[in-house]
Amino acid sequence: MPAQRKPVRFEGFDRRLMVLTGTILLGFLAIAMRLWNLQVAEGEEYRRLAEDVRLTFQRVEAQRGIIYGRNGEREVVLADNRPAYDLILVPAHCDDPVAVVNKLAELVNINGEALLAEVEDVLRRRPFSHVTVKEDVSKNDLVRVEEHAHALRGVFSNVRPERRYPYGETAGQLIGYMGEINRDELARMRDRYRMGDSLGRSGLEARYEDTLRGQDGLMTVVVYAEDQRPQTRTDATGTPFFDHDRFGRKLEEVTARRVSSSPGNPVHTTLDVGLQAYCESLLERQAGAIVVLNADTGAVLAMASVPSYDPSVFVTQGRNIQRAELLNRRPSPMRNRCFQEIYPPGSVFKIVLAAAALETGIVGPQSTRHCPGHFRIDGSGRPWRCWTFDRGGHGRVDMVDSLAYSCDVYFYEVGLDLGVDAIHEYSTLMGLGVSTGLDIAGEVAGVIPSREWKEAEARARGYTEPWELRWYPGDTVNLSIGQGEAAVTPLQTAVMMACVVNGGRRVIPHLGIDNPPAPSEPFLSEETLAIIQEGLLKCVEKETFPSGTGRRAKIEGMTVLGKTGTAQAVAREHYAHYKNEEDIPMAFRNHAWFTAATMGQEVNLSIAILVEHGLAGSTAAAPLARDVILYYYNNVASSAPVTLAQGEES
Amino acid sequence: MSMLEASPRWTEGHIGIFDWRNVFRSDRLTVVLVLVLAVVGLMNLYSTDYPLASTAMDAGGQARTQLRNLLFACAVAAVIVCFDYRFLLSLAPLAYLITIGLLIYVEVRGYVAGGSQRWIDLGFTRLQPSEIAKISLIYMLAWYLGLIGERIRKIPYLVLAFIIVGVPAVLIIMQPDLGTTLVLGPIALAMVWMAGCRLWHIASLGVLGVIAVGVIIAHVYGVVPYPESAPDLSDYQKTRIQSFFEPDADPTGAGWHAMQTRLAVGSGGMLGMGFRRGIQTHLKYVPEYKTDSIFVVLAEENGFVGGMILLGLFAALFSRGLILARDCPDMAGTLLGVGCVTMLFVHVFTNIAITIGLMPVTGLPLPFLSYGGTFYLTVMICIATILSLNMRKGVPGRPV
Repeated sequence: MPAQRKPVRFEGFDRRLMVLTGTILLGFLAIAMRLWNLQVAEGEEYRRLAEDVRLTFQRVEAQRGIIYGRNGEREVVLADNRPAYDLILVPAHCDDPVAVVNKLAELVNINGEALLAEVEDVLRRRPFSHVTVKEDVSKNDLVRVEEHAHALRGVFSNVRPERRYPYGETAGQLIGYMGEINRDELARMRDRYRMGDSLGRSGLEARYEDTLRGQDGLMTVVVYAEDQRPQTRTDATGTPFFDHDRFGRKLEEVTARRVSSSPGNPVHTTLDVGLQAYCESLLERQAGAIVVLNADTGAVLAMASVPSYDPSVFVTQGRNIQRAELLNRRPSPMRNRCFQEIYPPGSVFKIVLAAAALETGIVGPQSTRHCPGHFRIDGSGRPWRCWTFDRGGHGRVDMVDSLAYSCDVYFYEVGLDLGVDAIHEYSTLMGLGVSTGLDIAGEVAGVIPSREWKEAEARARGYTEPWELRWYPGDTVNLSIGQGEAAVTPLQTAVMMACVVNGGRRVIPHLGIDNPPAPSEPFLSEETLAIIQEGLLKCVEKETFPSGTGRRAKIEGMTVLGKTGTAQAVAREHYAHYKNEEDIPMAFRNHAWFTAATMGQEVNLSIAILVEHGLAGSTAAAPLARDVILYYYNNVASSAPVTLAQGEES
Repeated sequence: MSMLEASPRWTEGHIGIFDWRNVFRSDRLTVVLVLVLAVVGLMNLYSTDYPLASTAMDAGGQARTQLRNLLFACAVAAVIVCFDYRFLLSLAPLAYLITIGLLIYVEVRGYVAGGSQRWIDLGFTRLQPSEIAKISLIYMLAWYLGLIGERIRKIPYLVLAFIIVGVPAVLIIMQPDLGTTLVLGPIALAMVWMAGCRLWHIASLGVLGVIAVGVIIAHVYGVVPYPESAPDLSDYQKTRIQSFFEPDADPTGAGWHAMQTRLAVGSGGMLGMGFRRGIQTHLKYVPEYKTDSIFVVLAEENGFVGGMILLGLFAALFSRGLILARDCPDMAGTLLGVGCVTMLFVHVFTNIAITIGLMPVTGLPLPFLSYGGTFYLTVMICIATILSLNMRKGVPGRPV
């Protein structure tokens, strides 16, 4: 074996190797010191902690905020929380589980055998864990159980908050309901929600979720090992506490680490429950919508949509059948007809035409037109009817008369003179065919057609020829009386009507009282408004022949403006052959519109009423407006300037 | 005796760049240390599989899998030992380029697991280029530093060395795999140091590193804006750094793990709870207790004494490795050994330091103890590289 040669290296190589080795050993020394510290110096302490101190966290759920509405002067609760009592049974605490179960079956309506089987199963495996006997028991059941407490050792009640909607179906769609969080939402909002949490699913509950939801608290408890989740119970105030784990060992809360929950904030709304209930009752047995706005502020006083539903169906457990029934029923109670359904505006659209024509100077206050009962573009081609076609027309009419008698021919001509662009501009200004900005999600925008809209719509349907995409005068004629493709929501109609009496501003309807949105700057002149107001007043007030179409809304001693509308749901030929209008099938009947406003009151109202397939606005919708106005100034407004007898026939 | 001298032992004699007899010429002490560590690791892993509760569970299933990983890694190591390390070194530039290619490929269309792209799916198995990068970088640096010799004292050569490290480091941090990137730095520093670079060069590099770490911590706390060109830390990384400094800030979240780990290690005491008797780990209070946090099991069950024995074994292995490296005939081989030892040391130190709360959590496995095949292979390749450095010792008639 040759002698090993030492490799030749640069000067200082050995020193550097020593430094490297030293660094490694130093690192290990640091670890050794830390281990000594952890395991030997403080080892006893850690071992004691690890052996019997294992911390588990229990969430203390925060109370959800309350939703308030009004009833006249008073503030009333639309949604709050009630304690729901669950009966639970801890088998290990029972002297004789079989006797206890039998007694329970006697007292509360439960399946005793199923419960007994469950109890026996739990007794075998984890005797100290609890079995739910019955969820959300009634007060009576609870009292009965408490009376027999001596024979029911091991039976406890657990309190948890549950959402309550005291007014049931009234305003149900507006308040909305709660639902369990789903996987996607949980992934998005992991920091605020846990599996099994509920959150607002529709209406105010959904819109004001952030306000209503409180800040959850935290309890810390000592447990013996993982998987041995503590059994939480609640005391009389609903505060959870720990008793023992499911193996029966006593548990203690680390009170020093407790974080209290803070309840959610209340939401105050402008909704008047009395008015809302009254509006809903007016539409009984029909499908329709009534919107009542404060014309100056846009505050929603009532927004009735019939049929509706009781939100508690979606909150309380075990009501799946009712839920399915609600979801499948037709006409659907789930859609809010005030802002989620669209209808052709019909003659109420003439208010927009009047505003546009007067503002642009197409017609002056004195200019008149002749209505022979029908109308042809340039005097030839297909005739468009006035609704007085059978009687030979309205004769010579001006703007005021045309609004009062709802003359179609006058507005056909004015519409053609204005052109679609001006009509579209003013309808958008007045809030038709655009989202109103209501503080509830799910609003539908509807549509007021324009040249661009028609072209886009035609292309979307696969038409490409220029003659298929063009806007025709005939389209303008149809639009002039709110037919054709025009479709709006009752809420938009109420916003439009508010412009007439509030000085020409567009209001933003809202339910929440905090930070109400401001109305727009006035965009209609006083002169224009005066003429429209005169026409709409005549529409309601004129009783002698020829009478105004809205005369059934007249209230003696009060300024009520109104405009009727009768919107075709299907083309005329479907029902023209029926002699008697009661014979027309429901689906073919016209929708009845009436939009009204009051003037000269402390609070001026803007009202839109739609009765689905109500045949005619003057007969089906106008009387309802009268009732609503009477109810409001008699029962809701604090200082009604005129005393009115309700139900008085005019 | 004369018979023995006349006919040399069968393990003697040398054939070319590949000689299977190298396996039996390997350094005994190193082999013994490695085997002891492997057995300790297997037993420790077996202990975690032992069901404390009476539920049916496949006891020792993962230990068996780990044994297979070990045997496969040993086989690969044996093949590597048979090669002349100088031949392998000559392949280093090629291996380095292939590694860069794989890292770019994984960046473009890698297999995503746990939010980061770290894998290439080969169909039968998944390739983790960042593991390959550790090895090929050590070889590449050794090749380069061996080539330039004393010119490392000049700044351009030093800069090139760090460019060689920087390219894969940047690619790996983009995956994002912070742990692996942090391993590459110390390896490069140690190799450049042993290659003989100027003292003040490396000192200023160290100062720069300290400043960088300071900037990261300050950024986590929002004190200074982070340079926009630098890759931003992901939220979980920030949380980890924060929970390292304030473990009690969020007792249910990130701090919870640190707290439970400390409880487990601390309750081990001087002598430990006993084999298979670790309460905290068996009750699954400690997360990742079979992989990154495996040291907790050893510390809880075997106590301070067990931990010291493990550290002793590692210290012996590393010292022996450095001696073997020192005695290697040429400089490139020495640096190869230094790189391998440093890589193993960084893993051991970082892993344990994290576990016992000396460093923020990044997620590095512990050699020989953590469960997992790929990393075991990396470790055994390092060991084989160290073993192959001194094969020429005692071979008659061959120049070193």
